[in-house]
Amino acid sequence: MAPYTTIPLSPAELSYLHTSLSQTPPIRPDGRSPTQFRPLVAETDILPSTNGSARICFPDGTEAIVGVKAEVERSKQENNGSTSEVHLKRDRRMEQQNEDMEDRDANEGKGREGWVELAIEIPGMRDDDALPIFLSAMLTEALLADQGLKDALYINTRFHWRLYIDILLLSLPLSYPLPLLSQTTHLALLSTRLPALVSEQDEDPLFNDDWEASTYLYPKSNPSQTAQRKPPITLLVMAVGETILFDPSADELAVADAVVALSVTQSTAGLKLIALRTIDPPSRLTSGGIPNALNTTPVAAGAQQTALSSNEALKLRENDQGRSVWRPPRGGVKRVVLSRMIKAVVEEDGVGGEVMQGLANVET
Amino acid sequence: MPLDTSSYALAHLRLDGRRWNELRRLHAQTSTQAAADGSSYLEMGNTKVICTVAGPAESRKGGGGGGNAEAKIEVEIGIAGFSGVERKRRGKGDKRTSEMRHTIASAFSANLFAHLYPHSTITVNLHVLSQDGSLLAACLNATTLALIDAGIPMSDYIVACTAGSTASYASNDEDADPLLDLNGLEEQELPFLTVGTLGAGEKVSVLIMETRMQMTRLEAMLAAGVDGCRQIRSILDGVVRAHGKAVLDSAIS
Repeated sequence: MAPYTTIPLSPAELSYLHTSLSQTPPIRPDGRSPTQFRPLVAETDILPSTNGSARICFPDGTEAIVGVKAEVERSKQENNGSTSEVHLKRDRRMEQQNEDMEDRDANEGKGREGWVELAIEIPGMRDDDALPIFLSAMLTEALLADQGLKDALYINTRFHWRLYIDILLLSLPLSYPLPLLSQTTHLALLSTRLPALVSEQDEDPLFNDDWEASTYLYPKSNPSQTAQRKPPITLLVMAVGETILFDPSADELAVADAVVALSVTQSTAGLKLIALRTIDPPSRLTSGGIPNALNTTPVAAGAQQTALSSNEALKLRENDQGRSVWRPPRGGVKRVVLSRMIKAVVEEDGVGGEVMQGLANVET
Repeated sequence: MPLDTSSYALAHLRLDGRRWNELRRLHAQTSTQAAADGSSYLEMGNTKVICTVAGPAESRKGGGGGGNAEAKIEVEIGIAGFSGVERKRRGKGDKRTSEMRHTIASAFSANLFAHLYPHSTITVNLHVLSQDGSLLAACLNATTLALIDAGIPMSDYIVACTAGSTASYASNDEDADPLLDLNGLEEQELPFLTVGTLGAGEKVSVLIMETRMQMTRLEAMLAAGVDGCRQIRSILDGVVRAHGKAVLDSAIS
């Protein structure tokens, strides 16, 4: 069982938390507002032997380091038919475009998914455990949704860059590690640089020895372009009744009605939602409290103890509907709540933009 | 060959400008991770290692592993894919990694006061972020610091460093000099050993050598290594004392 699901809270505490979070405005255990994130420590470019690296520490002690390395690899040759087709398309487009268009527009559509490889290491877990596999699938899916990244790895028809992203979770997973790993990967990719290409066309790739001449994988803000490509970010959002909370702590996750992982990326028209995945909230693994009517411990000498049949006991619990005692949440998320979550992340000046802005401001 | 440079022939300066008995820059910090019981970060030149310690805790296997009168020490080493020049993903069952784990575990089993924690397990997690020579030595030093940070009592520091010989380079074998603290390039070409001592004296607790060379050179290399360990011990002791002072001054908790 994944460590983050062992919840040391009693039904009374869970009920108390749930009630506080259901208020308007919600009362969070640490007093944050619904869209306020906990402070974190972030640094980039910490590993000089990598193309890009980052380290983020969350205040609950969890820490992650991501290192990005790029290696030149030979491309698998496609059939002659398709390559000539691509050349024709390219020539036609070149006639139409301005000459100072960047190279990557000419490489449009040439990138391949297999050129990006992501690996996650979590201490105490083997590589084939469910959590590392699930997390790496979610992060890879979000990364590969951006064709621009794959195109940036194209060198010429015979060679391409292969990007290796190694994610290390340094502490035991005390809380669900997805937002931490996603933000650290985002930061590492922002600082990733590839050596500048000196050779022309299809000759063997030759690069400029000067590291200062290297280009960023995700180019820094370019005033001539309206939108700037950015790596994706995955945020964890939870819902308690009608209330939406961002950056939930482990306690808050223990009483969540629904937990959702939202992946967003930057596109020409602002933030775009790439993926939305529901995550089984750890609250479903908690045990419910026992209503007073079902209390079988002797209360007082004169109290009448009538043993209820199992059917009657069940009926009593169902009617209670978790009002008097804690009951693990059932059912899914309402569509309205989901759409409010998406809107809160994607809108102008929304949470997604704020997080991306915050990460972009991290100095080396 | 790392010693074929003119600077070595003329002034006996190695590739990075060091002399035969100079250590690389050693940077160490303790208590780097709040979530772990004990943690440390150590850099020996470009070799960077993070160590976290969890424990002493109840053995996962419950009564099965129990019946021990002493704490059991488990070591896990994770060598990051980006640690070398080329990206290489190493599995946990790698032979070299297994040997390093066993060496570290047995060195500390003998040194820690494990009889104070019967039926428990102390888990040491090492993460190698960057490799440039002296990997086992860096791991041992980082583990010492992390165990001290976790508050597990031991008789003295276990400090380690590498020592090599210029034997394969010098044509006149009698003139072969010992070298202290080899970097990655030197380790690939020259014979070397890793020596770990218990404290500043001459008690050797770890000695590993994987390359071959003439027996006559062993004594000089060992002497150089033990001397290097003494220097490292004083540096690490300084780090621990500085951290302790900061804690006492309530600068950090």
